[in-house]
Order: sequence, then C-alpha cells, then structure tokens
Amino acid sequence: MPRRRDEYEEDDEQDEEEYDAVDEEDEEDYDDGGKTKRKRGRSDFIDDYAEEDDEEEEDDDDEDYGGGASARGGKRHRKAASEFFDEEAAVDSDEDEEEEEGEDDFIDTGADIPDEDDRRIHRRPLLPREGEQEDVEEIERRIQERYAKSLNVEYDEEATDVEQQALLPSVRDPKLWMVKCAIGREREVAVCLMQKSIDKGPEMQIRSVIALDHLKNYIYIEADKEAHVREEMTDVLSVESKAIDISRDTWVRMKIGIYKGDLAKVVDVDNVRQRATVKLIPRIDLQALANKLEEVPKKKAFTPPARFMNIDEARELHIRVERRRDQATGDYFEKIEGMMFKDGFLYKNVSLKSLSTQNVQPTFDELEKFRHPGETGDGEMSSLTTLFANRKKGHFMKGDRVIIIKGDLRNLKGWVEKVEEDTVHIKPNEKGLPKTLAISDKELCKYFEPGNHVKVVSGATEGATGMVVSVEGHVVNIVSDTTKELVLKGVPDRPDVGLVRLREIKYKIDKKIFAKDRYKNTLSVKDVVKILDGPCRGNAMTSRFSHLRTPPRVPQSPMRPPRGGPMNFGGRHGGGRGHDALVGAVVKIRLGHYKGCKGRVKDVKGAMVRVELESQMKPGSPPSRAYEAPTPGSGWTNTPSSNYEAGTPRDSSSAYANAPSPYLPSTPGGQPPMTPSSAYLPGTPGGQPMTPGSGGLDMMSPVVGADNEGPWLLPDILVSVRRSGEESAMGVIKEVLPSEIEIVAPRKAEKIKIMGGAHRGATGKLIGIDGTDGIVKVDDTLDVKILDMLSIGWLLPLTLFPIVIKAVHRMARGEVATTAFQDRHTRLKVCLSLANIFDNIRFRRSPGRSTQLLIVVMKNHCSIGTFQNFQLFIRFIAKLSALHKIHRHAQRLPNVYLNEHD
Amino acid sequence: MASQGGGGGGATVAQIPTSFGHELRACLRCRLVKTYDQFRENGCENCRFFQMEDDHERVVDCTTPNFTGLISVMDPTRSWSARWLRIGRFVPGCYTLSVSEALPQDLQNMCEEERVPYVPPKRV
Repeated sequence: MPRRRDEYEEDDEQDEEEYDAVDEEDEEDYDDGGKTKRKRGRSDFIDDYAEEDDEEEEDDDDEDYGGGASARGGKRHRKAASEFFDEEAAVDSDEDEEEEEGEDDFIDTGADIPDEDDRRIHRRPLLPREGEQEDVEEIERRIQERYAKSLNVEYDEEATDVEQQALLPSVRDPKLWMVKCAIGREREVAVCLMQKSIDKGPEMQIRSVIALDHLKNYIYIEADKEAHVREEMTDVLSVESKAIDISRDTWVRMKIGIYKGDLAKVVDVDNVRQRATVKLIPRIDLQALANKLEEVPKKKAFTPPARFMNIDEARELHIRVERRRDQATGDYFEKIEGMMFKDGFLYKNVSLKSLSTQNVQPTFDELEKFRHPGETGDGEMSSLTTLFANRKKGHFMKGDRVIIIKGDLRNLKGWVEKVEEDTVHIKPNEKGLPKTLAISDKELCKYFEPGNHVKVVSGATEGATGMVVSVEGHVVNIVSDTTKELVLKGVPDRPDVGLVRLREIKYKIDKKIFAKDRYKNTLSVKDVVKILDGPCRGNAMTSRFSHLRTPPRVPQSPMRPPRGGPMNFGGRHGGGRGHDALVGAVVKIRLGHYKGCKGRVKDVKGAMVRVELESQMKPGSPPSRAYEAPTPGSGWTNTPSSNYEAGTPRDSSSAYANAPSPYLPSTPGGQPPMTPSSAYLPGTPGGQPMTPGSGGLDMMSPVVGADNEGPWLLPDILVSVRRSGEESAMGVIKEVLPSEIEIVAPRKAEKIKIMGGAHRGATGKLIGIDGTDGIVKVDDTLDVKILDMLSIGWLLPLTLFPIVIKAVHRMARGEVATTAFQDRHTRLKVCLSLANIFDNIRFRRSPGRSTQLLIVVMKNHCSIGTFQNFQLFIRFIAKLSALHKIHRHAQRLPNVYLNEHD
Repeated sequence: MASQGGGGGGATVAQIPTSFGHELRACLRCRLVKTYDQFRENGCENCRFFQMEDDHERVVDCTTPNFTGLISVMDPTRSWSARWLRIGRFVPGCYTLSVSEALPQDLQNMCEEERVPYVPPKRV
C-alpha cells in the first residue's frame, strides 16, 4: 500500500515531484491527529529497516517529516542495534518485494497521469471502497470522522516478522474473551455471531470471534469490554449459571433414552457424583417384561407410552416384584428388574448431564399427569401452598399477591404496588429490603394460599369468586361463594385447559364424601376434626369436605386410582376409601338402558355412581350427559352395585394380547368387582359374604375370604387366584391382601411353608400326605409334624414360577398347547412343575423338537396317544372331574372349563 | 483501490458460511471461508480477480478444505485479531486462521499481475 508506497518513493528519490506530493499528503494526514502521526512514524521506520539491505545510505528523510525529528533519532538508534533483524526481515518479506514492484508499477502509472486527484486516490491510505469521484475534502472528512470515532489506529498490512512483533496487542487493543460454548459447536457459534453482526449492524461491539480447532468447548471473542461480550453471549453464559440450578423438586426434562423429552421431578441430587434421582412416569411395557422372562425378547422398536406403573398388574403378569426399603429415606419402593417404583412413578438415578433444566415449562397436561394419588393426597399441604404459573401479560393488578420465580430473589413474596408495561413494582414481604422492587413480569407469578379469597379473572368461570381450598401445582381449587361448587382453576393463560378440567371435575361437594386428612387418616361424616389451616384454623368441626382426587384424564391409566390407592395406603380403610378409589375406574354398565356402555366413574354418592360414558364423551359435552347409574340398595358391600363391571386397565390399552378382558364379578351376592390382589375392595375385606359353595360358578373354589385373619396366606405361597369367572390365575403371594385366592396344595417332597398354627411361617418339606393331613418336616427344627393340608402352602422357587405360570396360561387359554423354551433344561423343569400342579397330566415332548412342543397327555390315558388339540384335552378333563369327584385341592384346572364342558 | 485485496467488487461483507461441516473451503489467498457452493456462485469477495464464479476448476484451485481454526471478523479495521492475522483490510466475514496449502504458482503469478500481495502459508 499507499503508505508503503510513500516510503518506496522516498527511497527511490528518483521522482522529485512525486516525492513532494507525498510529503504534502503526509503532512495533511498527520495533521488529522497526533496519534496517527506517532503510529505512522513507527511503521515508517520499521519499513526503513526492511529497506536497509538495499544499502541505500540516504538518511536525509528528516525533511520528510516536519515534526518527526525525535522519532528519527530513535529510529537511528534502533537501526544500529538491530542489524540482523533487518536481514531476517528482508529474507522473510518476499511480499514486500512483490509489493515494491507492484507499487513501482503504480507509481509509473501514476506518473503517467498528470491529474493530481487521481493520484491521490491511488495513494489514499486506509479508505477502502470509495468511489473514485469523491474529492479530497470528502476523503479528509471521512478520515477525520473515522479517527474521531475511534482511538484505535488503523493497521498496516505488511507482514514481516518484525512488523508482526509491532502488532503485538497494546492496552488499547480490544481484548480476547474466552467464552464457553457447546462442544463441537465452536465454529457454528462463530459463524452465527457473524451473521448476527450482519443482521444487527454496527451496534454490535464484538470485533471478531475465533474458534480454534484444538480448543474444544471454548471460543474467543474479541471486544473492548466484557460487557460487550456478555451482551451478545447471554445465552451462552447463562448455560453455566443455570446448570447448577438442579435441586429438589425442580422440574427437568430428560435428554436421552426412551424418556427423552419427558418431564421429571428431581427427588434427590448428589452433587459430588453429579447424579440425581428423578421421578418419572414410567414407560414400561409390562408385557414385554413378562415375555422376557420366558421367551427370547422380541425386537423392540417402539417406545412404550408413559403410564403409571401398576404393581398389581405387574404381579398379574408374573413379573417379579420386590419390595425394598430405601436406606437413605426410609421409603418403600417396589423393585422390578432393578427399577424402583413408588406410587406408580419410576425413580431413576441419572447423571446430571442427562437432565435438561433450561426452559422446562411443564405443560398443564404434564402436570396433571404428575398428579398421582401418592402426590396429591389431600393431606399433603406442604406441597400445595405455592403456585407457579407462567402468566400472561397484564394479569397483575395492584394488590395481587405474587411470588418471584426467577433470579436472585426467587421465592420472595410480596404485593403488587404498581404495574408498568413489562415491569411490576412489588412490595416485598421481607424486612430489610427496599420498599418497592421493580421486577420483570416474566419473573413473577401469582401466589395463592389455601384460605385466600379470590376471583377468577379468565376462563369459563370468569368472574366467580370463592375461597382457595387447595393449591396443587398449577391448579387452584376454589369453592365458589355463590354456588358452593368446587371449581378448578387451571393455569390462567391456558383457559382452554381450564375449561376442559372444569367440565370434567365439576361436581358438587357432597358431605358424604370421605377424605383423608393431612396424616392420611380417613375421615368421614361426623368425625370431629380440627382445622389446621385456612381462615377457620383452630376451630373444631364435625364435618369436613375435601376435594376428591381428580380422575385421570389419561386413558393409559384408567385404573390407576383404584388400584394404586389401596396399595399405597394399606387397603384396609373403610368404605370411604372404596368410594374414593372407585372414582376414575373404568366400568361397564350391565343393566338398564345403558347396558353395555363403557365409561368412567366420575362420582360416587352413597349408592349412586355417576358414570361418564365413553361413547358420549366429546369435548364440550356437558356433564349432565353422564349417566347416573342408579344402584338399588343402600350400602356398598351388600348392594348389587354390580350393575357395572370393572374394566381392566389392559382393556383400554389393548397392547396386551394375552390379557384377560374385562371381567364380570364372579362372586355371588352382587359383590363389587374386584381384582385378584384386592386392588380395590370397597367393603371391608373381612365382611365379604363369600362362602364356599355359594358361588354358583365356582363350585370347586375353597373357602377364601371369610377368614381373612385366619391362619393362611403368607408370602411366597403358590396360590390360584379365583377371579371374574373366566379363568384362574396362579400367583405367588408377595403381600397378604384380602382376595379370592386358593392355595395350591403342595405335592409330596415339595418345599412348603406352614401357614397356620404354632409353626406359622416356618418352612419345611412335605414328606407325605395322609388324607387331609400332610406330614411335614420342618426345616429349622427337623421336627416332623402332621398338619392340615389347608395350612400348608407350596413354596415355589420364584425363578421358575413365571415360566410355569406362563405355560399354564397359554394352555388354559386354549390358544396353543405349545410353548417355546430357551433350552431343554428349562422345559424339563417346567414340565415337572406343571405335572405337579396339574394332578392328572403329564407332558411329553414331540419327537425331534426338543425345545418346541409340549403335548398335553393325561396320565391314565397316555398309552392311547396324545390329544389333537387343547379342546379335546379340556373336554376330557371335564368329564374326568365329573366322574371322579376329584378332591378339591387336586382339582386345579380353571373352573371355566368345567363349566363350559360339564 | 477499494481494499487491499484489490480485486474490486462491491460487497461490503463477505457471504457467511451456510454450514459448518466439510463443505467449507478457504480461499488460499485471503483465507476467506465459505462453502464450495458459495465460492462457486459468488467467488471470493476479496479476490475477485480469481473469477471463481461458475468455474469449478478455479474454485478447487483457489480454495482448500484443509484449514485450521475459524475467525469471524465483524470489524476488520478495529480488530486486533484481524490485524495480527493480516486480514484487517479484507471485508468482514469468516476467515480461517491458517490454510495448509500454498496457492498454485500460476495463480500466484496472477496475484502478481493483479498487484495484490500473496503470503504463502508458513511451514512449521
């Protein structure tokens, strides 16, 4: 360039005219600013060094610079000291020579053109891309502008090492700021910031962004001030500050795995190990889990839907469920295949890195899903006192109670003093703080406590006033002043959701509704209670309402409340629990006009059940459409409320091919439907009016419920579960719950457990059977005891159990009488087990297929041959049992077959 | 003289790469980084005289995918980094810190003819 060219011209000293012109020009330039001048001086003499090897001795360029005498002196001094630098510089500066040539050419050209202006344009320094027409004044003006604007000088382009040294940054240069960024995104960030600067124009203060290939995770940003960097990099920087933000009860999202994107709640954080325990809605295919136990797992390409784990269901599918106590918290967990469950939720220990904490804005639906019996129990006041909602603009009014949900002041409560466009001035609730604080409305959220008197400001119930009964997540339950109805108020900026909720959940407060208090004790009408919270705190009252657990809207878990409820709370509560638990159950109406219709129990009032019919459940349909199924009688347990039959959860998910369809109550007397493990027993268990022989269908079934506190039913005992009339199921007792089950009598030489009498709980071996008595050798004492067979349970090795059960089920269903096994050994064991369970049968493998086929053969007739199909086999057994009046314990075939073929 | 590059061209800002992967190439003279397609369509904003537009061969000759580091220069005249890297006179855009190949001799000659400087990469 231009300046360089000046130098060359001086050196050449061939063209006096040119030289003069240069001189003039330089002086003009230098007058613009002292700084520039100094800079120029420096680079000039550096250039001179570079030229030294030309051996040009003229040093009288003093005259070039009127005011540069002192600089020249310095130059001479340094020149002498750095002889070899010069040589190096000369060697390295090939381009200087090139330039020289180039510039010489230019100069020649310039010399040919007499026009002074043109010349000036050529030699104009530092002004890129200016139209050639612009005159000198314009140029000067621009130069002035530029130099006035910035103290930073322009830089020469010439590259010698010496010059490079001269370019070392000074204090006035912008600094490089190291900024963390996502690994692998370094270049992307640099490019995006470039694009941003183009879009934003000159206001962006960043000079450059550097992404080094060898430096992962960081970029450099060049800017004068850190603030400039921060300004542009807020997003990047905020990552760091938020990463630490994982704490208990934080909502997070999963980043990886089948739960990717799912909402989770942090239960525990281990900052040392960088892990957290989160609570999720499990995505587990129970059927697949069950299959895995028996068969080669099928390829699974789909992600199971999120639904609450139903431990009972898992047990039904014969998945091994363990109950463990967590040492740290003392809570009990159900453990399946290494996964921990509690209240239907999966508790998962994950790396903090696999959690996303940014922009976790749980949707209303998601929060609703998280409202599980265990969590939304009426007594849990502690978690209900705050409401964090994302609010729409303009919703704050003077006097509103608010809570800060973001930033340093998080959780600070206060009152709204003044509302501006985006800022809300609040009066903090704490002492020692300024009188008012200006907070962005995005960081605020209304705050309600039970007992507050509120007015609904949007949605279907807009205008209604009432008292807050409870706050659960984003939902406030309000008792309306006028109608005394329970109103559910959703997140205010999503009125549509609120509307839906309203439609579904609007039921009158029934004083007969039973509820639980804060300590999970059941309350019912006329109980004396003390109000612990709210405006009437401290008063003793004789009745109390509480809002019922809202039925789940999620179709995947229709049976959740009824099943989960009793499990979690011991299942022995009175009728109140039953009422409560029934809400949300999927039922089928058996009689009357709506016979055959399926629906969901919305409300239980005494003997009346309000059912929302599936077929008519359209969005917006009024609740009056729901069918009020009248049930005769007054009580629960002694009325034929069996007008409806309970559907199983699997019925609606239909993912389980083998699952039994909705079952009819099989027991006489119009018992409410019940699940084998007593998932819900509305009545008290002991009060089941079920006696042997009274079951019209199940004539073989033993006495079950009548002696609930009786000697038998201990964990690990093999039982046959009587249920619902279609088939019986086998199970191993994990926990004792009242239910219709019978013990499968052990065979000789099997391990047993004593269930009654003085030796209850002891294990032993059945060494002989004498009529109804069994001869047992007790393990511990090695004593030989004679006990009633009824009090002896078969202790089945759990590992084998699921396989056995599976095989039984398959055959009993009559689909195929074959079952594939992994190896011969397993098959053999299963055969043996089955042979023990089914008294009169034996299995023989089909020739040539050692792991494939089981053919059912009757012991007494096996000499004749095998059965062609299972139906023949069933028919045969039916006949046989009728003929021989087999001992009831020996008859262990599903009663349904007997009924069918009798 | 519009800029040091001397190639003329009216662009005040270079095109910004549209991707960040292997399609990126860097001009061997000015070290501007763009995608191949961008070079093919619009050439190099600093080195117009290469006339890469619609000339596959030329683009391949003048640019390289082998380069190290990336720097986005928003304000070349006031950026120390740009000065240090001697790209302070080029148009704002994305540049690389260094390219690993030299410009072919014939193209170096072209630079010479165009009277624009060319600095071959330093061998380490």
